[in-house]
Amino acid sequence: MSPWIEKYRPEKFEGIKGQDEAIKKIKEFIDNFYLGKLTKNPKKALILHGAPGIGKTSLAYALANEKNFEIFELNASDLRNRDKLQSILKPAIEQKSLVKKNKIILIDEVDGISTTERGGLPELIELIESTRYPLIITANDIWEKNLALIRKKSELVKLKEIDYKTIKEIMIDILRKENLFVDNNILTKIAINSKGDLRAAINDLQAASKIREIETITFDERNKEVDIFSALKEIFQGKPVNKTLETFDSVKMDLDQAILWVEENIPVEYKGEELAKAYEALSKVDVFRGRIYKQQYWRFMVYENILLSYGVSAAKKDIKTGFKIYKKPSRILKMWMNNQRIAKKKSIAQKYAQYVHVGEKRALREFPMIKTILKNPEVHKELKLTEDEIEYLKS
Amino acid sequence: MISGIWTEKYRPSKFYEVVGQGDIIKRVESLTNSFNIPHLLFAGPAGTGKSTLALIIVKELFKENWKDNYLELNASDERGINVVREKVKNFARTKSLGKVNFKVIFLDEADALTPEAQQALRRTMENYSATCRFILSCNYSSKIIDPIQSRCAIFRFKLLEKKDIEKVIKRISENENLNIKPEAIEILYEGSEGDCRRAINILQSTAAISPEITTELISTIISNTKPKDIKVVLDYALSGDFQKSREKLLDIMLKESISGQDVIKSIQKEIWNLPVEPEIKVKLTEKTGEIEFRIVEGSDPFIQLQSLLASFVLAGLGK
Repeated sequence: MSPWIEKYRPEKFEGIKGQDEAIKKIKEFIDNFYLGKLTKNPKKALILHGAPGIGKTSLAYALANEKNFEIFELNASDLRNRDKLQSILKPAIEQKSLVKKNKIILIDEVDGISTTERGGLPELIELIESTRYPLIITANDIWEKNLALIRKKSELVKLKEIDYKTIKEIMIDILRKENLFVDNNILTKIAINSKGDLRAAINDLQAASKIREIETITFDERNKEVDIFSALKEIFQGKPVNKTLETFDSVKMDLDQAILWVEENIPVEYKGEELAKAYEALSKVDVFRGRIYKQQYWRFMVYENILLSYGVSAAKKDIKTGFKIYKKPSRILKMWMNNQRIAKKKSIAQKYAQYVHVGEKRALREFPMIKTILKNPEVHKELKLTEDEIEYLKS
Repeated sequence: MISGIWTEKYRPSKFYEVVGQGDIIKRVESLTNSFNIPHLLFAGPAGTGKSTLALIIVKELFKENWKDNYLELNASDERGINVVREKVKNFARTKSLGKVNFKVIFLDEADALTPEAQQALRRTMENYSATCRFILSCNYSSKIIDPIQSRCAIFRFKLLEKKDIEKVIKRISENENLNIKPEAIEILYEGSEGDCRRAINILQSTAAISPEITTELISTIISNTKPKDIKVVLDYALSGDFQKSREKLLDIMLKESISGQDVIKSIQKEIWNLPVEPEIKVKLTEKTGEIEFRIVEGSDPFIQLQSLLASFVLAGLGK
């Protein structure tokens, strides 16, 4: 599959959005070069400059397509040195194209050459003087010192960064052609994040569109659950044997996840003393996990694994039978949901704290008391509470 | 604008309105009247008038321009001394205009800073002493390092007495057309623990329900707004219902956003009220200590607390 930035590169001027001014100038330049003779010595090179990803190269190609010219492209990596430049460029400039009437020489990213290649620049200047075909040069930053001479000999056209709304329109257009759907909020986020860089936006869009669809997620999860269920059964019900140590190896789930499953389901199987022993083992699993994170000493994982499988399994006196329904761990979700709520509580407490000259932490501690006072609509206005925050106070 | 929050609405704006601090007020007032104050250190319990006094000082010094010349920071909220220094730097960059040639920085809960951070603060105080005066507030002056103490005039705020709180409550009640009996004031004072802010907050919360302020109403408000009890959790565990017990635990931790360490503190205290044998109390305490250690070491508090609850289940069985 080709990257979208290539697949959807505009072929004609009309496909280029948000660069009308530049298109006008490039047309003038070409007309002047071949037909116009409006000025006595028309400049032979045109520099398209501006931030990355706003359509400089696309504009050059669109020009070639519009005029049915052949394009001869060189980029920084082609221009190792003077010899190479000469051997490639000279014939291209001097020979007439066989199939098409005219040629455009495109020198991409000239500011890349200037800093890395020795000898390339003087040759380029020579070329501008001797060429029979128009040169289009692209650059991010043309104000580098060593580009001064090239600047003088060229027409300068600055491309604007693309407005985020335009970027969004282009993305929607692509999605339509691809028959894909991406959430509007994500589109807006990508468009704003791109800061006018259309190429980056399209790349991000392609990545975002690849995020697994709902169908595949549930399928994946379901697979995992079958594995974890049998693993839990083995540990909770079976006799601890050496093979028990490998229980979690066959589960396609990382150990952190498995810990949550065990945590949730210990009381389903164990009671009394067994329960206490099993949780003691789990508690130690967790201690080793903490040590791994703190010291980045991964061998502790061995103990984590042993305690989680054999350790929990050995907590019982006898093997167990019977069918038990193991539950999916719910605590993390609950905590996440709660964090969303807490965030609102915190932002309210923050506003209140500042207003009445107390610390935020104290405001949070006193929140149950403050809450009733804050229910007053007058106070909502006073503290400039948001809709969300007012909603929270009502709940 | 008159505030709908009573602690603001009835915050004293003149020296003579401040209750209970007697001598301190007079001394601070005469300092303020000279239009030159040293660095000040206000030490004392919460809700006794430290922030209020600082506000009165700046209002007296700068009149209507006080907001431009006053920076309020809270040491326990700011993330580190560097944030404090940065804010001070920005604020102190411009000079105060007008008659008073310094600005005032109020640093609340300064005792939340570590001794190292206080050393850094001391440097900051020195660097900006030409353009700024600091008013530090703390609960205990002993937690403020000596070099800072020696640079400040220290004022110790007393816990408010019943007659002080009563005065405030009566004034507000009159203004807000509340009907409050002497017994209710008594309960209110007890609930406030000498903290005037808290007293006013309790009064306003109660008044939101009815203008007839009774002792029952106040008691309900006070107990409703107390953090939920950890005892229920332990009761379930002792009775052998582990699942219910941990459900409650998670509930309390999430709803009240109490940290694992706070939970364990209340569990540790609660052990002594449990109907179990002395030997088991010792065992549970030992286990609680071990679990607290594991949490402090950086383990997952909820997993650790479940393990602790499992021990309470055992205790319930007499083991």
